[in-house]
Amino acid sequence: MISALLSIFWIPLGGFLSFLVFISAINKSIGVRKAYVNLLLRIFEYGRVSIETASKENQTFSRNPKTDDKQGVQLVDDADSKEATNGVAPLITRDAVLLPQAQEPAPEKPVSSKKDEINFDFEKCLDYVKSGVEAIIEDDVTSRFEAEELKNWNMLTRTNRHYEFISWKITLIWMVGFFIRYVFLMPLRVLVCFVGVLFTVFANFIVALIPFRYLRNSLASLSFKITFRLIASSLSSLIKFHNKQYKPTVSGFCVANHTSPLDVAILSTDCTYSLIGQRHGGFLGVLQRALARASPHIWFERGEAKDRHLVAERLKQHVSDPNNPPILIFPEGTCINNTSVMQFKKGSFEVGGVIYPVAIKYDPRFGDAFWNSAKYSMMQYLYMMMTSWAIVCDVWYLPPMYRQEGESAIDFANRVKSVIAKQGGLIDLVWDGQLKRMKPKKEWKEIQQVEFANRLKSDST
Amino acid sequence: MGNKSSLFLRNEEIAQIQEETGFTPNQIERLYSRFTSLDRNDCGTLSREDLMRIPELAINPLCERIVHSFFAESNDDRVNFRQFMNVLAHFRPLRDNKQSKLNSREEKLKFAFKMYDLDDDGVISRDELLSILHMMVGANISQDQLVSIAERTILEADLCCQGKISFEDFCKALDRTDVDQKMSIRFLN
Repeated sequence: MISALLSIFWIPLGGFLSFLVFISAINKSIGVRKAYVNLLLRIFEYGRVSIETASKENQTFSRNPKTDDKQGVQLVDDADSKEATNGVAPLITRDAVLLPQAQEPAPEKPVSSKKDEINFDFEKCLDYVKSGVEAIIEDDVTSRFEAEELKNWNMLTRTNRHYEFISWKITLIWMVGFFIRYVFLMPLRVLVCFVGVLFTVFANFIVALIPFRYLRNSLASLSFKITFRLIASSLSSLIKFHNKQYKPTVSGFCVANHTSPLDVAILSTDCTYSLIGQRHGGFLGVLQRALARASPHIWFERGEAKDRHLVAERLKQHVSDPNNPPILIFPEGTCINNTSVMQFKKGSFEVGGVIYPVAIKYDPRFGDAFWNSAKYSMMQYLYMMMTSWAIVCDVWYLPPMYRQEGESAIDFANRVKSVIAKQGGLIDLVWDGQLKRMKPKKEWKEIQQVEFANRLKSDST
Repeated sequence: MGNKSSLFLRNEEIAQIQEETGFTPNQIERLYSRFTSLDRNDCGTLSREDLMRIPELAINPLCERIVHSFFAESNDDRVNFRQFMNVLAHFRPLRDNKQSKLNSREEKLKFAFKMYDLDDDGVISRDELLSILHMMVGANISQDQLVSIAERTILEADLCCQGKISFEDFCKALDRTDVDQKMSIRFLN
C-alpha cells in the first residue's frame, strides 16, 4: 500500500523538491508565499471586524451599558490612532523609573560631610514606594520574555483567548485554518526542512573534499545559503531585506537583535556568515557538524564559551583573515520577544574591526517568532513555528560602524544597540537580557542607594 | 500565556472588584492579565518571589517593604487577585469621581505609614526609622550620621513627646505634602 503510494507520488514529489532546491540556489521566489501572506492579511482583517462587532454585542449584553458605551468608543479610537505602534497601549504613565545604572551624575562638589545636617522627612521615600508599585503594574523587563500581546486575533488559539467561538463565521475560518496548518502545511514543511538538512550534510561533505581553496569557499558559501533558504522556506518565511548596499562584505562582525534561533536562518538566506555558538546535540548538532565541515564556523564546547579570553582569541583570529566571512553575533545573548533591544554584551565590540548592525523585525500577526526557551524546547518551538501561518519579517542592513577613538567597548555597544533599536522600531532598554533566568544584581540596588544618599545630602546643604 | 481559561474573569467578579476598588472593568482585566503573567506557577495566587522577580522592583531600596504591604492581609504568604487589587486601589488618584474607600488621603497616608512601621504596632520607633534609612542609603552614609538623622527626625515630628511617631504625628509631618500626587499612579484609560 505505502510502496504503491510512494511509487505514484515519487515523481511529482521529487520534482517539487528539486525545483525547490533549484529556486533556492538562484534565490528567486515564484510569489506563492507573497500571495499567501496577502490572503492571510485579508482574512485577519475580516476576522477583526467580525470580532469587534460580536464583542460589542456581547458587552452591551452583560455589563452596565452606561460605562461601556464610553469604553467601546475609546477602544475603537485607540485602534485607529495607534495602528502604527504594535502591541497593546500602556496601562499607566510612569513618573520615575528605576534603572540598573546611575541616572544623574554624582554631585561634583564634595559634600561637606562634617556639616552633618542631613535632613530627612517621611515624604522622601514616597517616590520609591510609588515607583515600586508602578513596577508591579507594568515594568519594562518581564513582559519582554513573554509572547507579545496582539491587538487583533490572528486565528491561532495559542495567541488568544476564546475568540474562536465568538461567531460561526470565525469558527469556520479558524477550523479551515487549523486543518490547513496541521494537515497540509505541517507535513510539507517538515519534509522541506528535512530535505534542507539532508542537503547540508551531503553538500558540505562533498564541498569539503574540493582541493582548490577558491572554488571550495565559493561553493561552501552557496551551499550555506541554499541550506538556509530551504529551511526558511520550510517555515513559509517572507523576508524583506532593506538597504542591501550595506550588506556585510569583508570579514568583521555582523550584530543583530535576537528573537529566535530562526534569526540565523533568516539572515543567512541573503549572505554567508560564520556562525559562532555552543555545540549542541540533536537536530542542531547535525546541522552544526555538517556546516563546520566546509566553512570556518566557531563552535565551542560546553564550558569553553565561559572562558572569555579563549573566545576573544578565537574571534580575533577569525577576523584577522580577510577571506573569512563576517561572524554573525547576537550580543543580547538571549532571545527577546522582538519588542525591544536589551543590553549588548561588550565582548564582540572589544575585538575591533568593523561592525555591521542589522535590525530584524518580525510581523507578529502571522505567528509569534519569539522562542521562550524557558518554556519550550527547541523541538516544541519548531513544531509551533511549523504550525503557524508564516514567518514574515523585515531585515534592515545598517551602515557599518567603527569604534571611535577613546570610546569604551560598552559605549560602542550601546551606540550600535540604539541604531538597531531605532531602525527596527524597538524599545532601547539598558536592562540585561540574562534577567530572563537570573536575579538582578545586588550592585544595581546599591546604585539606587547611592543616588538616594546623594539626594539626601544635596537637599540638606 | 499560561492557562488560557484563567485569562477571563467572570463578570460578577469584575463587578465586585469594581465596587470595592473603583477600577474600571477594562483596567481590571488588564491588571488581571498582569497578575496571571506574574503568577509563574499558574496557581491563582502570587508569592513574594513572584513579585521579587520583577527586576525593577527588586532593585528598589524599599522593595521588601513594598512587597510586604501586599501580604499584610494574608495568612499563608500568598496573595489572591482581590487582595492584590485592594492594595493597588490605594494608588488610584483622589480626584477620580468614582470614590472608593481605599484611595482617600487618609488611606494613602496609612499605606505610607505602614512602610515605616516594621512591626505593625502603630508607631514608628527610632530603630524602625533607622532600619528604613539604612535600606534607603546602604553604606553610603555612616551609621552615626544615620542615628543622628533618625533622632532628629523623630524629635521634630513627635508631638506627644513619646520618643515615637504615631500616625497622627505622621499625618502632621506630611501636612503640607501633596499626598495625592506622591501616592497616585496615573492610569491611562
